[in-house]
Amino acid sequence: DYLQSESDYQTMVVSCYTPTQWLNQVIVVGDIASDNAVAGGENASDVVALQQMDDYNILTNNSTLEDLWTSAYEGVNRTNYLTDNRDVNLAGESIDFEGKDALYGEVHFLRAFYYFNLVKMFGDVVLFTDHKLGLSDFGNFERSPKEDVYAQIEIDLLAAIDVLPTQQSQQGRITKYAAQALLGKVYLYQEKFDEAVPVLQSVVDGPFSLVENFDDIFLFEGENGPESVYEVQYSNGQPYYNWAGQTRGQGNYAVQQCGVRGFNGTADMPYNSGWSTNLPTQDLASAYEDGDQRKEATTFDVEAYANDNPSLNVTYQVAPYKNTGLYNKKYLPRKGQTSGQVELNYENNQRTIRYAEVLLMAAEANLRASSVNQALAQTYLDMVRDRAFGDQDHRVTATVQAVWDERRLELAMEGDRFFDLVRTGQVDSVLGNLGYNSATEGLFPIPQREIEISGLSQNNGY
Amino acid sequence: QNVNVSGTVIEASSGQPLPGVNVVVKNTSKGASSNFDGEFTLNDVPINSVIVISYLGFVTQEITIINSDPLSISLEEDAESLSEVVVIGYGTQKVTNVSGAISTVKSESIEKLKPLRVEEALQGSASGVSVIQSGSPGSKPTVLVRGIPSFTGTDPVVIIDGVPQSLDDLNSINSADIKSLNILKDAASTAIYGVKGGNGVVVVTTKGGRNNEKAEFSFNTYTGVQSVDRKLGLLNATEYAAMINEGSVVSGGDIIFSDLSVLGEGTDWQDEVFKDASVSSHTFSARGGTEKVGYFLSTGYLTQGGIVGGEEKSNFNRVNFTANVDFQLTSKLKFILNTSYANIKSKSVAENSFNSILGNAINFDPTVSVYNDDSDDFATYGYSNLLLSEIFNPVQRLNDTYNESNGNKLYGKFEIQYDILKNLKITSRFGYTYWNQVGKSFTPLAYYGPNNVSSDYNSDGTVKTQVVDNGDGTTTTIPSFHNSVSEYTNSNFNYTFETFASYGFNLNDIHNFDVVLGISRSKSTGEGFGATRQDVRDNSWEWADISAATGVNTELNTNAYTGYSYQNLERRNVSYFSRINYDYNGKYLASFSARRDGSIAFGDDNKFANFYAGSLGWVVTNEDFFNVDAINFLKIRGSYGTVGNENVDPQYVSITVGGPSYNSTANSNGYTFGSEFVSGATVNSFSNTTLSWEEQTQYNIGFDATFFNNNFSLTADYFNKSVEGLLFTDAPPLYAGTSEPVTSNIGSTESKGIDLTLGYTNTGAKKFKVNTSVTFTTSKNEVTETNSDGTAFVAGGSYFNGQSQLATRFEKGFTPGYFYGYQTNGLFQNQADIEAHATQDGALPGDIRFVDTNNDGVINDEDKTEIGDPFPDFTVGWNLAFEFKNFDFSMFTYASVGNDIFRAYERNAQFTNKDRSILSRWTGEGTTNDANSPRYTFSDTNSNIRPSDRYVEDGSFIKIKSLILGYTLPESLSSVFSKVRLYAQAKNLLTLTEYTGYDPEISGGILDTGIDRGAYPQARTVLIGLDLKF
Repeated sequence: DYLQSESDYQTMVVSCYTPTQWLNQVIVVGDIASDNAVAGGENASDVVALQQMDDYNILTNNSTLEDLWTSAYEGVNRTNYLTDNRDVNLAGESIDFEGKDALYGEVHFLRAFYYFNLVKMFGDVVLFTDHKLGLSDFGNFERSPKEDVYAQIEIDLLAAIDVLPTQQSQQGRITKYAAQALLGKVYLYQEKFDEAVPVLQSVVDGPFSLVENFDDIFLFEGENGPESVYEVQYSNGQPYYNWAGQTRGQGNYAVQQCGVRGFNGTADMPYNSGWSTNLPTQDLASAYEDGDQRKEATTFDVEAYANDNPSLNVTYQVAPYKNTGLYNKKYLPRKGQTSGQVELNYENNQRTIRYAEVLLMAAEANLRASSVNQALAQTYLDMVRDRAFGDQDHRVTATVQAVWDERRLELAMEGDRFFDLVRTGQVDSVLGNLGYNSATEGLFPIPQREIEISGLSQNNGY
Repeated sequence: QNVNVSGTVIEASSGQPLPGVNVVVKNTSKGASSNFDGEFTLNDVPINSVIVISYLGFVTQEITIINSDPLSISLEEDAESLSEVVVIGYGTQKVTNVSGAISTVKSESIEKLKPLRVEEALQGSASGVSVIQSGSPGSKPTVLVRGIPSFTGTDPVVIIDGVPQSLDDLNSINSADIKSLNILKDAASTAIYGVKGGNGVVVVTTKGGRNNEKAEFSFNTYTGVQSVDRKLGLLNATEYAAMINEGSVVSGGDIIFSDLSVLGEGTDWQDEVFKDASVSSHTFSARGGTEKVGYFLSTGYLTQGGIVGGEEKSNFNRVNFTANVDFQLTSKLKFILNTSYANIKSKSVAENSFNSILGNAINFDPTVSVYNDDSDDFATYGYSNLLLSEIFNPVQRLNDTYNESNGNKLYGKFEIQYDILKNLKITSRFGYTYWNQVGKSFTPLAYYGPNNVSSDYNSDGTVKTQVVDNGDGTTTTIPSFHNSVSEYTNSNFNYTFETFASYGFNLNDIHNFDVVLGISRSKSTGEGFGATRQDVRDNSWEWADISAATGVNTELNTNAYTGYSYQNLERRNVSYFSRINYDYNGKYLASFSARRDGSIAFGDDNKFANFYAGSLGWVVTNEDFFNVDAINFLKIRGSYGTVGNENVDPQYVSITVGGPSYNSTANSNGYTFGSEFVSGATVNSFSNTTLSWEEQTQYNIGFDATFFNNNFSLTADYFNKSVEGLLFTDAPPLYAGTSEPVTSNIGSTESKGIDLTLGYTNTGAKKFKVNTSVTFTTSKNEVTETNSDGTAFVAGGSYFNGQSQLATRFEKGFTPGYFYGYQTNGLFQNQADIEAHATQDGALPGDIRFVDTNNDGVINDEDKTEIGDPFPDFTVGWNLAFEFKNFDFSMFTYASVGNDIFRAYERNAQFTNKDRSILSRWTGEGTTNDANSPRYTFSDTNSNIRPSDRYVEDGSFIKIKSLILGYTLPESLSSVFSKVRLYAQAKNLLTLTEYTGYDPEISGGILDTGIDRGAYPQARTVLIGLDLKF
């Protein structure tokens, strides 16, 4: 029997964090399914799951979606197991220790995080919160309306906000601010702008600041920096090599994916090669105005790089499929940041919620709340744009559309674009001519395996 | 008064002298054997003593010596030459009285065949048993006794001298020690093994002592060479480059090889990794006994190299010592001590995947030379500038393969037999197996060229480095890669303690009863530990040892020195068993057995199970009214019963603690906070408290017959087994997460088939003796249910060809492990073809046309269907032996018909090498309509590489498994040796098959059989040997 001491509880909570690392493909999907990126890869039958997203021809057996669904539910089961055994453990004993409530704040946040990922991808999903599922539960669930799922997410996040500290001794531990930021985002997804305003305001007022040089945010040195509200942590200290569960080590699999093929040069050339997937589009690159430092920091033009740095003797293979000439600079694989089975062990943290996004969310909430606060919205938007251009000469009037457009530029290749387009109702107009099927209502299909095993209903359009 | 006795022994039927007959003075150790002319002499024999004259297959005679007159002894052939006994569970039974279904392989054929593993002797020789061999030295073959009734495992139980062992243990037994192999096939024979009997039972009986015989020594030796039978037809360098150019240009890219003329043939990597390897074996044994003590002592040494990589990298070496000794302690008490020790040392190479040694040889770039000859380049080996991951120079991979394992096994039994009454015997035996293995492997740092992601070095020869954050604002540069040495040890011990009483009696001389009643307890335990340490001096195997490596854990590198240990959960069984065998005057036969089994493996609610079986037989030829001269013996048999299967892990909820998981669901733990890794814990398994055994019901009907003066024999059986409560690991809902799935009793299967053996011997022939037999084995297996709605299935047969693919399924309505994929229907010749066909995304002219099996107008996953069956429709074994004067010749041919193979060794990346069949690919309308030859392009928009019948081939084959020619020296030539035989043998001499891969025998578990990922082919072996007896 486990859960017999404080350290058992602490250790088990650590593993509630683990599946957050397995969700890195949500980020990839969020851009590939939008106008920001294409799937790339070696050929049409490479990374088929991502090609389907890119081509809006998603089969219900899409392996990436199946993996994400399973991973998020593993997180739900792990957090449920802890909430189930919170007051008394399996042996019927009550284990109390200092900080147990705050520890459970992390558990509540994590469950909310898993359900938020599920609901934004799949809409109505299976909702259970009282225990880890066992044999007798299998097949006994239906999908719950997404409103109920969101309600549970709010309950969990509010519970987390109540007990979480504003600072944690370990980097990557969830703070009250992370929970408030996520709750703010969850409110935006439900268009509950009045509720979003105050909760986001507390994060805006928190100890965060924008990093002057945008590119630095995504360097190793920039991890858990002043702009970081919540980051999923990865490391290269565990030389994971399980290709049967390639996203389930301590390393960030999405980094290897977006590298340039056959990328090589002198020892000073800082990048490793990769698989040329998740390639930014020229459409994205051209959305940036001149002088916007985010362009260079987001879309990496390999040919220009080679030409601009002759001393590095850069050689590379042109992306063999869906080449755009551009690569995801934010997570471009770098030398010295991986170990063991190099493809699986990149240490790059996923910048899940940045302060810049909190500002943009606060701006949007203030613009769309029942009592509009245009001035605050303008202030927050200006902060983001001023950092991007390094001056105050590129400000634009804060309209809802302006904030939305800014989100694309600021958060490109960070996995928000597709979900933003869906929640803001722009998806048909923006992605329609790329082949997006409006019958899908912005949702991905419930994995076919789950439908076969558990008898769930399928989303429309599949 | 003593006299010298001499005499001549002849065979009664022919009048010919019988050499080698044992003549012993009863109750003494004095004895002799007859010479080539049937003559013997015994000196100094007391008057009125009794001499015993015995010879296998003949009726033993006893003669009281009254004077010194020469004796003329005429031995009658044993009227029941069929009267040999077979070893059944907890006893023996006369063959004529058996009413169950049992196959037997006798020591003579094992001695002749000289199998490397015992199972080789079963292949094709025992009907009802399918053996699919593997080529890797010492590796375990697939053995199926009467089909595949179970999902959780198909290995039969192995009983060695009454002691349960496993199929894995057969690699440690010296085939020269074996007296007989009996395979118990039907429920009536196996039910006495209850919950373990469901996959059949292989009963191995080793040689024992012979009382009252002088020592007989025998020495057998052979040595030979093994080589690869055939190679694949792959593209040479020029052809390869031309194809790569075509693939690139067709998909809009550049020419990659600008000058084909300089490339030539390039390197055939197959030639570089296949090496001739030696095999040799020496065994020596002594056998004999006094009145009170019998002994069989033997020792053997076997060494076999592997043809993939050669004997330096791939080998199997075994040393055996066996002592089987029995003591008649008192007139009622007998003590038997069997002890065997085996030492097994082996080395192995990566097998059975696209990036194994053979997989690399098939797929690597042929334009690369084996070694790098550019002195400015740090590389030792040639490398490809195109293949930058996954596939490597196979010679380099081979040379960087360093491992060895060394195992010691001690097994045997202590047995006491006590005769309480004349026919009432108590047997108590303690059988044990102890296995301890240590092993070591070394992973050196390697360089595969400057652009290869797996290179551990920079191109200047320095190890790649990384910068890490010390957590205080400073950073440190440390090496990213380290060589490492791993060492492990594991051991397990299991014992079975059994006591049973057997009582034979008869009523009125016609009702014969044989009753067995007993109890058995068994337990198995296991444990192990291992360690890995980085930084081996000189990057060399010579220094590869934990104690000599220098890795020390630091905060920045916590993997420099790591270890693990484990203890297996104890497994315990307790069983009660009984059996009654009855015959009425040898005419009407009946047998009934019952067993009650308790196993720790099952859920709390279902610890115990009962198994019953019965059989009936009728010896028709013993009826007075039966009067057909041509038929010498005819017995009709039938049986029915239940047996079980407990191939499942004990049920409990496990918590795993630590970090990354390498199990099937990758249920990893732990998290990195900042740069500090913190291990975590989570629930890793479900438990099923209602889990129960798998219940198999089998009926069998058959007959045994001999006819035409016993020259012909025929045994035929039909069986049908069905399994209820199949132990099946159902896929849990995905919303249950990644805990390991749980096994439940859901589903059912059915297997049915025919076993047939037909034999011919020209009994009584003098000069030219012929012995031939044919076995025929068929079984049809079907999964009749998985879960209540029949939707649950398990997919397997995974391989990688750019995508992770699954090629097999265990699913309702199909053979277990059938091949699952798309059906093809030729190629699209033009755009009109594509438009006329169901919607198939990405298809272009020259691409494969897949069949819209569900007729919904779209080609998608739902069109996947059955595309093959890895298990044969039937197998046939044919033994043919001649003896002419002193020459003996035997040939064993084995055929497997209807087994399909899924070709999965092709990696199919843009720059991997390809099969020559690509030269006849589609190049324009009308060039070909063969779905195996679609257009070649880098941009495979149609996914021509998806699992389809394109990769399924008919793996039917006929193999001449063994061909032997021997010559026995006339006895007159040697005074020392009673037998001197020289022989030459060829194994796997000829394989006839249409399969294009290396070897159509692809062994594996149910879901892996027939999936050829570059499986280790069986070697063709040519050897010469010498058998001596003295």
